[in-house]
This record gives sequence, structure tokens and C-alpha cells, in this order.
Amino acid sequence: MNNVIALAGVVIKELYRRKDFYVLFVLTALITLLLGSVNFFNDPKIVRYLKDICLLLIWISSLVIAITTAARQIPAERENRTIFPLLAKPVTRGQVIVGKFTGCWLACGFTLLVFYVFFTVVSGTREQNWNLEGILKMVWLHWVMLGIVVAMVLCGSIVFSAPSANITICFIVVVGILGLGRYLHRVALQQGEPVDTVLSVIYFAIPHLEWYDVRDFLVYDQHLAPWVDCGLATLYGAAYMVFFMCVAWVVFRRKTLTV
Amino acid sequence: MSDVQGTSNSVVEIKGLRVEYRARTSGQTTKVAVKDLSFSVRAGEVFGFLGPNGAGKTTTMNVLLGFVNATGGEACLFGVNVREPIARQRIGYLPELTYYYKFLTAEELLRFYARVFGIPRGEADKRIDLLMKLVELEHARKRPIKTYSKGMQQRVGLAQALINNPDLLILDEPTSGLDPLGRMKVREIIQRLKNEGKTVFFSSHELGEVETVCDRVAIINQGELKVEGRVSDLVAQYQCDLEKVFLKIVGYQPQPVS
Amino acid sequence: MLRLVLLAVVCFSLATLLEPRAMTWGNRRQADGVLKIVFGEGRRLFANHFFVQADVSFHSGYYPSIFDQAKRPKESPMVSDRNEHDEHDHDSHHPDADTHGHDESAHEREMAFLQAPKDWIERFGRHFIITEHTHLSGGKEREILPWLRLSAELDPQQVETYTVAAYWLRLRLGKVKEAEEFLREGLRNNPNSYQILFELGRAYYESDHDVGRARNVWELALRKWKEQESSKKDPDLSLRARIAENLARLEEQEGNFDRAIGLLELAKKASPHPANLEARIAELRARLASRATPK
Repeated sequence: MNNVIALAGVVIKELYRRKDFYVLFVLTALITLLLGSVNFFNDPKIVRYLKDICLLLIWISSLVIAITTAARQIPAERENRTIFPLLAKPVTRGQVIVGKFTGCWLACGFTLLVFYVFFTVVSGTREQNWNLEGILKMVWLHWVMLGIVVAMVLCGSIVFSAPSANITICFIVVVGILGLGRYLHRVALQQGEPVDTVLSVIYFAIPHLEWYDVRDFLVYDQHLAPWVDCGLATLYGAAYMVFFMCVAWVVFRRKTLTV
Repeated sequence: MSDVQGTSNSVVEIKGLRVEYRARTSGQTTKVAVKDLSFSVRAGEVFGFLGPNGAGKTTTMNVLLGFVNATGGEACLFGVNVREPIARQRIGYLPELTYYYKFLTAEELLRFYARVFGIPRGEADKRIDLLMKLVELEHARKRPIKTYSKGMQQRVGLAQALINNPDLLILDEPTSGLDPLGRMKVREIIQRLKNEGKTVFFSSHELGEVETVCDRVAIINQGELKVEGRVSDLVAQYQCDLEKVFLKIVGYQPQPVS
Repeated sequence: MLRLVLLAVVCFSLATLLEPRAMTWGNRRQADGVLKIVFGEGRRLFANHFFVQADVSFHSGYYPSIFDQAKRPKESPMVSDRNEHDEHDHDSHHPDADTHGHDESAHEREMAFLQAPKDWIERFGRHFIITEHTHLSGGKEREILPWLRLSAELDPQQVETYTVAAYWLRLRLGKVKEAEEFLREGLRNNPNSYQILFELGRAYYESDHDVGRARNVWELALRKWKEQESSKKDPDLSLRARIAENLARLEEQEGNFDRAIGLLELAKKASPHPANLEARIAELRARLASRATPK
């Protein structure tokens, strides 16, 4: 556990010393504040468009941070040869995987906190309504989703040789699941064999990241799912995180690392 | 030609070690990097591991450090199989090419490794202060490693290898790329460690250095152990310095200069 | 270095030479804002997306996806409400008509696109999507405006954006001045649009009570309609009918009964309620006759 926390600490330090997070946050804040200053038909109470765009930017930024941070962990360690002095210590490869995952996931959590505090302030001051419970649920579900993405990308970083290939593939998969995941089965049922079977298998195999995208509830002031459902979604997410990390560990364990 | 003495005070014990790299494509054949290698390193000695490029030295070290799985045979550190992470609890490792987390400072790096070894915070702080003094990096301890010169990075490497006060130090070409002053400092550190009763296992191409510092050496070539013994015994046996012993063992024939 | 400078000079000269000519290429007023430059010709796709986004916003997120496209409402209440408002005004003379209720239930049926879930994943996933069909009301209709504004910015030639926005601004949000400004902007971008002229006339008549301006604008709308639609195989008769009906109401109010009768006759040809109009024509004729008879 100690090793895992130590490794996670290094990942978090790396994130806040790189410029990615700051650039994305400043960009999000700038665009949001710019849009917030636009006058639409002299009505200062219009707020949903701002929430919608701000949340979209937060989602894009968080996915960029999660995927790029996770994708470079193991490959960078190997490329920079920092993996050798690390594994020469009493650290197992499994601990490296878990440590990297924990660090990336916690780092994503901290970035989400910053983004959502900004969002809460902007929307709350404009709307004069602070839906803290809804925001809390949304942050939690978003964080769980990023956990699945981080685990998937970490697994990919060990399976694929080039980080750029891993990043591209993971981006496409994540965006694809978010956009189409919900409808795959329905589309499958309208096709003939073997497309029907293939799509159905994909539908049941993929992690349904679209569950965690509950932006519409906050934008349109609707009531979010109860905590029980959020808890079940968390368990579902945790199962996928464990699965991807197990695959990553099994593959990493067998990899030959030569100095 | 092996001189395996399976003594109870063996820190490193290698028996019948075999490492094969399987062919990845159909045109390639399986490469045997290490063939039935057996030797041991006793506690408190400075052991030189020599051989030409491609002899299998790095592969053997990789097995000891757990980077590579052996195809056959056994390797143990302090009597524990090298596959167990606990086997590395009492070792320090300095790779030939020293690369560390560039975004960390030297102090942060050492603190990280100290934590991995489970060293309590207070104890870690004391050791970091000592090591910074030893490797003469006190003035730069709070600077990120990416701002360090090659020599400074090498010294950070030495510091991280010593953070856990190891009983066995594994050094891969420790003086490679260092100026004469740097090499002298490394030799002094090795001697100091020996005086403290530590074991040092290192590979090097600087045979003059090896002859001065080492108690025993092993020379391997093409994955096989060719000779192992005390430096003085080998020099007496072959009636020449260690460099010539090495060249004879690896079968080097000098070309006549016209 | 000299070659680069020469190239820059040639390009600059060419641009200056061609710029006045380029202005005369095509009849449409080219949009030149930042968004249009960024998006290029693809801006029309984005404009359409933002128009749909306004509808999504109107339905508070409950909206069919592209996979439910077959089930998409033919005309959303965001768009069709302005027509029903118009008809409702006339129907207030004839309370038997119940088209509003009929359209609402049809819309409800159209918006029931969520089928029974096919598997446990879809069933559980329903907890995380909006499944309640609502429309914005009580002043919250303002939330659709930014999307309509963006849509108009990106495709100024999409006339419906202006008319829909103007309806919601004027009638539901009480922003008459803003509605008129937006319609005038639409008219600058689409000088021959009878739809925008019609809405502008409504603003002048219903909100500003400026009879003169309303009459001028509606008559211009009828002329523009005649120029553009009369030669078509399938002209937009319903909108002409609405323009004529509204103008007839104005003339009736001003006491120009014979002009009003002529317009109602025109409207009757394509009105969904010809019986109502016939009754109004008869009423006007009676009033005209009573006016003509000396006491």
C-alpha cells in the first residue's frame, strides 16, 4: 500500500508540474467567461447555454487530461528508463500498475474538483440557485467514469507499443461509447447476422460510459438518479477498473525489460 | 571453469542460469543470452563481473534485478529467489544510464525511494542529508533533476542506490562517462562500502580499476562463465595483468601491425 | 528573403484587385463574423445543429436522438406554437374549434419515442437520462434564445430562426423591442423574406399598435409572396392566408370592411378554417350593408 501511495504521489506531482492542466483550465475558464459576458437579447438571466457549454468544455478537458496522463505513464517510464531504478526496489509490477492508476485517478479527481468549483461559482452566481447535491452526484459519477477510462488507457499503454496509437484508439473508443453506446443494441437488432451478433457482443462487453454523463440533468434542472443508482453505477465502474488493471498486470508481468 | 562455493554467507547465488530470448518473427532463431551460468558472491567482497559486449553481463544483471525472467536455473539474493520483491529490500542498484524523474528534485526523488523501502520519515530525512553531502549535491537538492548535468545525474543515481543503506550494491558500469575525478570518487565510495562490510557487485570495462578495487572477478563470454577467482590468483596464474588475462580468456588474437 | 517579400506584395495586390469584384459574386449577403470564418461553409450544419439544440432546450433535454429520427416530431411546439397562437386568436371568435388540443396530443404521441428497454443495460441506463417530456414555460423559454442567436449568426439565411425567436421574445418573454430588432436584422440578411415581414408586421400591430407600419409591412409581405411563390408549382398558400387574415383584421379594425372582405376571400382559399372565415365575411358584409343604409 505504501508503494502504491508513493507511486501515486509521483504521478500527481507530475500532473501539476506539467502545463496541460493549467492550459485546459484557463481555456475553459476563458471561453466560459467570454460566453457569459455575451448579451443575448438583453436578458441577464439566461444561464443554461452557459452551463451546457461549460460542462462540455469540462468533459473534453477532463478526458484529454485523463487519457494523455494515463497513456504516457508506463511508456514514459520505459522510454526514460526510470522503470529500472524503480523495479530494482522492492516494488512489484502489480504495484506499479496500481500506483500509476491511483495517481492518475486521483489527479483526475483533483482537476475535476477545480473545474467543478469554477462551474458551481459561475452557474450559482448567475442562477442564484446552488444545486450542490446534484453537482456532487455529477462530480462523483464523472470521476468514476474517468477511473474506467484511466484503467482502460493504462491497459492499452502496455498492450500497444506506441503511446500515440494508444491515445488515438482510446479517444475514439471513449467518444464512440459516449455517443453511441446507448444505441448499439437497438441498431444491432435491426441488422442481419453476423453484424447483429458482433454489435450485440460489443454492446454487452463495453463499459457503458454514457451512464455517467448526467450533464443534462444539471443543465435542465432535473432531478438526478438517487444515490442508490449512483452506487450501483460505481460498482459497475469499479468492476471494469479491476478488469482492465488485471489485464494490464498480466501483460506487464510477462514483458521483458532490458536495460 | 566454475568455482561455485555454495557457502552460507553467499549474498548472490546463481545456479545453472539460462536465459533465452525467443524469436519474434519467423526468420529469427532463439537467442541464448546466458548458458548454464553458476557463480556466487560472498558477503563483504567487491566482485567484478567482466566480459566483452554482448557476453551476457547485462542479461545476468537483469535477471538478478527481476527485469527479465530466467528460462532455467536459479538466482537468489540473500537466499531469496529474485522473483520475490523482498529479495530487493537490501540491495541498491545504479544503472549505467542514469535517468530519473526529471520533474522531481533530488530531494523528492530520494524521499520517494525511501518511502518505497518503508524508511520512516525522520530516518529518511537524516539519510537524505548524509547522502546529499556524500555526493556533493547539497546546493542543488531543491532543483528539478532536468536542470542537472550528466555528472550530477550520475551522483543522484549513486545517492538513490544508497538510500536504503544496502547490504549489496549492484553497479552497472559505475564509472562510465565520468571524468577522472568522478571515477576517483566512485572508487572511494566503493572502498568505503567495503570497509563497512557491504558487498559490491559491479560490471565494468575499466579493467585497471577492477584490478585495483575487486577481490574476486568472474569473466563471461558468449553467455558462459569462462573463469572465476581472486584477482591476485588469476594474475599469478596467467603471469600478466588483468587486461591480458581478459583478452586471453575471450580468445582475442592481436593483429600484426604492418 | 527577397522572394518572400515579392510573393507577399503580389498576393496583397491580387487581393486588393479582386476584393471589389468578389463582393458582386452571388446575391446572398455573406456572413463575415468570427464564427463564420472559423466554421466555413460547414457553418450551415452547425446552424442547423444549434436550431435543433434550441428545441432540445425547449424540451429540457428530453429529445429523440438521430437513432430515433424517424420518430422526430414533424414540427416542434417551439416552432409551431407561433402558428397556433395566431389561429387561437381567431378561434377565440369560434370556441368550438379545438385544434390546439388535437395538436398537443399528436405531439405527445410523437415524443413517446422511448420504447420499452430491451435489456438490463438499457433499463438501468434510463436512470441516467431525462425521460420526462416537458416544455419550458414561466419565463424559462429564454433559455432557447442563445441557441437561436448562434444559429442565426452561423446561417443568416435561415429565415425560420428569426421568426421563431421573435415569437418567443415578443409573446412569451415580453421583449418586443428585442424581437423587432432581431427581425430587422433578419430582414437585412434576407430582404425578400415575406415570412420575416409577416412577423414584423405582427410585432407592429399586436405589440406596438402601430397600424400604419403594420399595414405597410403586411402589404409588402403579400407583394413579396406574390413575386416569389405565385410561379411555383406548390406555393406556400397557408402563409399567404395568414398574412391576408391578419391584414383583414387590421382593416376591419380601421373600418375598411370592403378591403377586409377582399383579404378574407383571399385567405379562405388556403385557410384550415374556411367556414370560420366565411362566417366573418358574412358578418362584415352585414356591417357594410348596415353602414350603407341611411338612417
